[in-house]
Amino acid sequence: MTSTELQHGRRSIEEAIKPPTAAERLARYRIMLQDALGELYKSKTALAGALMLLSLLTVLLLTPVIAKHDPVKQNYSSIRKDASAEHIFGTDRYGRDIYSRVLWGGRRLVVIAILAVVFGLAIGIPYGVLSGYYGGWTDSIAMRAVDGLLAFPGILLYLLIVTLAREWHLEGVWNDLILVFALGFAFFPEAARLVRSSVLIEKQKEYVEASHTIGEANLYIAMRQILPNCLSPLIVNATVRLGYVILIIAALSFLGLGTPPPTPDWGADLSAAREHMESNPMIAVYPGLAICYTVLAFNLFGDGLRDIIDPRMVER
Amino acid sequence: MLIYAINRILQMIPVLLVLTVVVFSFIQLLPGDVIDTLVGDEEAEDPVIRAALMKEYGLDQPVYIQYGIWLGKALQGDLGKSLITRRPISVELFESIPATVYLGVVGIGLSIIIAVPLGSIAAVKRNSATDYTAQVISLIGISIPEFWFAIMCVLLFSLHLGILPSSGYVSPFEDLGQSLLYLTLPALAVGFRQAAYTTRLTRSSMLDEMNKEYVDTARSLGFSESKVIYKYTLRNALIPTITISGLQLANLLGGTVVLETIFSWPGIGQAIYLAIIDHDYPLIQAGILVLGIIVVVTNLLVDLLYRVLNPRVALN
Repeated sequence: MTSTELQHGRRSIEEAIKPPTAAERLARYRIMLQDALGELYKSKTALAGALMLLSLLTVLLLTPVIAKHDPVKQNYSSIRKDASAEHIFGTDRYGRDIYSRVLWGGRRLVVIAILAVVFGLAIGIPYGVLSGYYGGWTDSIAMRAVDGLLAFPGILLYLLIVTLAREWHLEGVWNDLILVFALGFAFFPEAARLVRSSVLIEKQKEYVEASHTIGEANLYIAMRQILPNCLSPLIVNATVRLGYVILIIAALSFLGLGTPPPTPDWGADLSAAREHMESNPMIAVYPGLAICYTVLAFNLFGDGLRDIIDPRMVER
Repeated sequence: MLIYAINRILQMIPVLLVLTVVVFSFIQLLPGDVIDTLVGDEEAEDPVIRAALMKEYGLDQPVYIQYGIWLGKALQGDLGKSLITRRPISVELFESIPATVYLGVVGIGLSIIIAVPLGSIAAVKRNSATDYTAQVISLIGISIPEFWFAIMCVLLFSLHLGILPSSGYVSPFEDLGQSLLYLTLPALAVGFRQAAYTTRLTRSSMLDEMNKEYVDTARSLGFSESKVIYKYTLRNALIPTITISGLQLANLLGGTVVLETIFSWPGIGQAIYLAIIDHDYPLIQAGILVLGIIVVVTNLLVDLLYRVLNPRVALN
């Protein structure tokens, strides 16, 4: 072996342990993205859900550009107009453009739903990981608490919390934050239990033992090494949960307990439309269709992801 | 079995405790004086009466004693008086339970009649056009908000076709025909969403069941395919299906708050809704408590029934 070969060999080891450059990292992300897209093509359900979600998110992001009318400003010169080029979905009883209200309402609803689910995950994941990782009596107590919360009917909790918000006259952002809190808190036991069951399986594996031998800290092993391997079922669950949360928010607003007017809101607008249903049924149709589309998109995507993650289901 | 039942009942105690604490804290967290919240400000105006009432509710004592006093009264069926009607709440709620049960039972029954055949046909003809249609319909079914479905039904059957009443209630003991007429739309709205869930459930538990070995054995013994499926597989598949639809009752009862309001159905859901609108705090508190207890107890009964139907399930 010549010295140049040796040098070459040494250099490649050095290169191998060098942190990746930005270009290399980009290339790696591209491969990951390609893999993900490849998986997506395998499940038609997931693909359909992904396309529906993508178009929904694009429309909601572009709302300030494509919704020309103010969703809140009343215009008494054009009350309850039918669909026209100016107002694609027509106008409501205050002369507000329904198309703009549907889009702005959707923006708010989806943001609240995502925040609520993220909040639930933010409590549920550490709770479940630590409970499953440490085991023993900590785990028993933690899981009994989760069982108790799971048995508590969520809808009753939302009703109580929303009523409290109403009695304290919370408005605007505070009202939204209360919704995020209530819906997120109700999700955390489910997330915690799900992640715990994956951790219980994962912590038996050899790499965990190896990390212990090297002397890694427990918290590091639990959160940085085990957790990433337990995320798949959680992602599926969170996606389906998003659809459910949107249904709940819409139902609460429909009852007049969610968002106070004049903020655009699918549930509240639907409820207001009921009074004019005989003369103008279409204003009750659009917000409802918007809810259906959004919830269906999340459900389809969640179902498809489940097929991809758990191939046993695809064979069926 | 007896030990299991006793265990399950003991497990229910912490859940009920959480329920009572949450419901009790609700009154404490409302703005204003607790005594005004509980008996209304007119009654508590006179300082002498006020002091007497404070003593009765234990408001001059620490919170945990107040909780004890409240719980003691609630256990004896004394849930306070409605601020609006001034009648005892236990009477008000007791009158509204039958209507909710009537709607719930017929709704669930309707959903099972639709969903079990649909789900099992989908499973038997897996991956056929029938299967895909059933899957798509049920996915759309769980994505449609029930209040929107209800409104659309009213729009079609009451306003457009004029064949069914849009809202109201007639007791089945007064006039069965009229009663069923008024029941049709609400029960359809309750049943539709439930049917979508149950179809998915029946399909997947049928598929689980059809992969088991006893099915092969039955076929090799020369039983006809319809006998194998309808006599053996379906029966076994129904056990988890019916259990889980029973556990869905919490969802269903939550949904009744919305649906009873839409159809002016005098059940416990509408009672809670009206109480929230009227700021009738003791009635909100009691309504949520009673609804919560109904859900927890039903879950227990369904769980026990499941063990009776399927003794193989490990009793731990």
